[in-house]
Amino acid sequence: MMLKIKQVTKNFGGVRALDKCSLEIEKEKIIAIIGPNGSGKSTLFNVISNLIKKDSGRIYLDKEDITEKEDFNIAKLGISRTFQEVRLFRNLTIKDHLEIALLESDEKLIRSLFGKREDNEKRIKDILNLVGFDKPLDTHATELSYGQRKLLDLAIAIAKPHKILMLDEPVAGVNPKLRKGIKEILRKLRKKGDTILIIEHDMNFVMDLADYVFVLDYGKVIAHGTPRKIQNNKKVLEAYLGE
Amino acid sequence: MPVEFISPYITNLLIFIGIYIILVVSLNLTLGYTGMLNLGHVALFAIGAYTSALLMTRLDFPFVIAFLAAGIFAGFFGYVLVLATKKLKGDYFALATLGFAFIVVNLLLNLQGLTHGPLGIPGIPKPSLFGLTIQSNFSYLIFVAIVAFVSVFIIYKIVKSPFGRILEATRDDEIGLRVLGKNTVKLKYKAMIISGFFAGIAGSLFAHYLSFIDPSSFHLSEIILVLTIVIVGGLASIKGSILASFVILLIPEVLRFLALPSSIIGPGRQIIYALILITILMYKPRGLFGRVDLE
Amino acid sequence: MSIFSQLTVNGLIAGSIYALVASGFSLIYGTNKFMHFAHGVSVAVAAYLLYSFFSLAGINFYFSVLLTLIFSGVFGLLMYRGIYLPLQNKKASNVILLIASIGILILVENLIQIIYGADVKVINFIEVAQGLNFFGAIITPLQIVIILSSVILFVSLYFFMKKTRLGRDMRAVADNKELASIVGINYKRVASYSFIIGSVLAGIAGILIGLEQNLRPLMGTDLIIRGFTGAVIGGITSVPASILGSYILGFAENYGIWFLPSGYKDAIAFALLLIFLLFRPRGLFGLKREVEK
Repeated sequence: MMLKIKQVTKNFGGVRALDKCSLEIEKEKIIAIIGPNGSGKSTLFNVISNLIKKDSGRIYLDKEDITEKEDFNIAKLGISRTFQEVRLFRNLTIKDHLEIALLESDEKLIRSLFGKREDNEKRIKDILNLVGFDKPLDTHATELSYGQRKLLDLAIAIAKPHKILMLDEPVAGVNPKLRKGIKEILRKLRKKGDTILIIEHDMNFVMDLADYVFVLDYGKVIAHGTPRKIQNNKKVLEAYLGE
Repeated sequence: MPVEFISPYITNLLIFIGIYIILVVSLNLTLGYTGMLNLGHVALFAIGAYTSALLMTRLDFPFVIAFLAAGIFAGFFGYVLVLATKKLKGDYFALATLGFAFIVVNLLLNLQGLTHGPLGIPGIPKPSLFGLTIQSNFSYLIFVAIVAFVSVFIIYKIVKSPFGRILEATRDDEIGLRVLGKNTVKLKYKAMIISGFFAGIAGSLFAHYLSFIDPSSFHLSEIILVLTIVIVGGLASIKGSILASFVILLIPEVLRFLALPSSIIGPGRQIIYALILITILMYKPRGLFGRVDLE
Repeated sequence: MSIFSQLTVNGLIAGSIYALVASGFSLIYGTNKFMHFAHGVSVAVAAYLLYSFFSLAGINFYFSVLLTLIFSGVFGLLMYRGIYLPLQNKKASNVILLIASIGILILVENLIQIIYGADVKVINFIEVAQGLNFFGAIITPLQIVIILSSVILFVSLYFFMKKTRLGRDMRAVADNKELASIVGINYKRVASYSFIIGSVLAGIAGILIGLEQNLRPLMGTDLIIRGFTGAVIGGITSVPASILGSYILGFAENYGIWFLPSGYKDAIAFALLLIFLLFRPRGLFGLKREVEK
């Protein structure tokens, strides 16, 4: 198991966003979390990366208990993630973004000043090639179109050293051609041994991509299984149609 | 005694400009590069000035030690300031740092046994380095220029390094940087310590130049002056801060040439600074060379 | 016993003065959500206006007061319309507005100093009267007027906020600006009125303080620090909380000098300000949201 979520509960005021939610994410697979709007998918991601404090439950990454760890330490331990809304650094270039993601030593001032500069040019090129991003490296984040921002965001998450990749709606608002492209990128990553957890609103997108699917409704896992099994699950259809 | 190439009036002005360049560039490190809305920078400057002055007048420390201690002590207070305020956001952080500045001035006024309160500290000796005492204003100018150059060079190197890049990323999107595994709180500590160190040594230069300091040099109007310079020069622009130090400090000199009474020159200077600040905020908030907005 | 009574009376007077400053400051903060530090200079401007009308121009006192209040309201509206609103229209952040307000404070203070000089001024309306003995404490009739009029003012402010349409709109905007504009409340109008009303409150504070104390060009900075501290102690988002906080500050300062040398009066205020900013920024009676991350 790469990631294990045990009985996680989170309340916002009186609203129960996650209700004893348990998931197990296998290695080297693409796992999808689907569910209607407000079913708790993004909250689950934020609880895993500890941007939101959970009320109860435990979380293990590669057998290590990360329940009480701080958000940046969880990232250091190997969780790489994106947000539904693309988060980029407004005043930095594409190269800056990827170097920040790649480098683990830039927090050290002295090393940063006197240490030898690592040459990441090739790794950056490889990652950008993989996602099919061809803008000049010194382009500023604000000069990019929505689709390009989405791709850069994905590239950053891939570049950051990780054990698991968690993508929150990687194709939301993206044109059909790019949707297909992103699907291919994710398949390539899986082939290379990545573990990928994606949140997706659209059932059709994950059906021929995911190896396994969890369905969330009202903060509970109401069904899980292979895409084929999920497609015909009565409870799942109800949750979607009853929206 | 070196020959005086330039008039004492110009020498005096240039010394102040040199000291302000250190003060303003170091403020830009926290305010402009890291995005910390620090209104307490002048307090760190004051702490440096008093540390250096007291160590030399009370304890007869050599200048080099007093000078470095001024930086270290101010850096330490920078650390304490972040430690105390790390939970606060936006304008509350700004206000807490402003409150810190008020408190420091108040302590300087009230800890009379240590600071002589409003009477200030007279007779601060001129610096001596390696047995040579910096006596004339001209040689003091050379000394200030060297310190300013080295300080700006170090800060420039920092902001251009990978470390500086994640300071800027902290400013642009703190959460976005934390999920990339960077401890942004620790980064803010480091930025504030470095910024405080340079504010502290600027304070030391200030104290030993004037040979007299009192709490009135570190009031609210001084905070406005350094903020004005940083904003006019532009956030996250070292070049802008240096240029704006010259421009902003030279503009009120016009008042001198108008032969106005000194009772008008003092307030007149403040009025000019305040007008420049308000005008730039309204019409050109990014200043001369700014790349980022103040948020 | 008489020391205790005297300190209580002094605390009450100081608290009333601080509360007069804090109430307007907090009223403006409520609808605008930024720190209008220049509020302190509104108080100073009012005091100097009264001095100009009454002591210099020799206008009838009550008419001078009326003129001062009108000018105070106009001054507040000018700051809002001339500087803050254009900044807000450019999407300036709260911190920009705070810095601009400190700029206005410094600007106007120094203008006062150039116009009136750095020396203190006195408004000689009430001859220094014999103090009255009140449970062993000495209190002058003017001080009684200050305490009573501030209490009357706060009660009427309370009813204004609760009972009038404008007061209700102000509370709605303070609570949720977006929702208020959805239900048809004109935000700019409400913000303008809160600047006018807040600045008239500053005007009243300036008049009472000007009668009680000497006028100094830099009085505005000292007063806004006190008023602001009082507001932070109580809870800056709520006018009644700010008023209560100001009285707490007044008492704390005066009871404090029972234990400490009187030079530490300032230090007590600053220590309270720091403690509250660091450990309870929402104040004693404030709500939690909007202050902490």
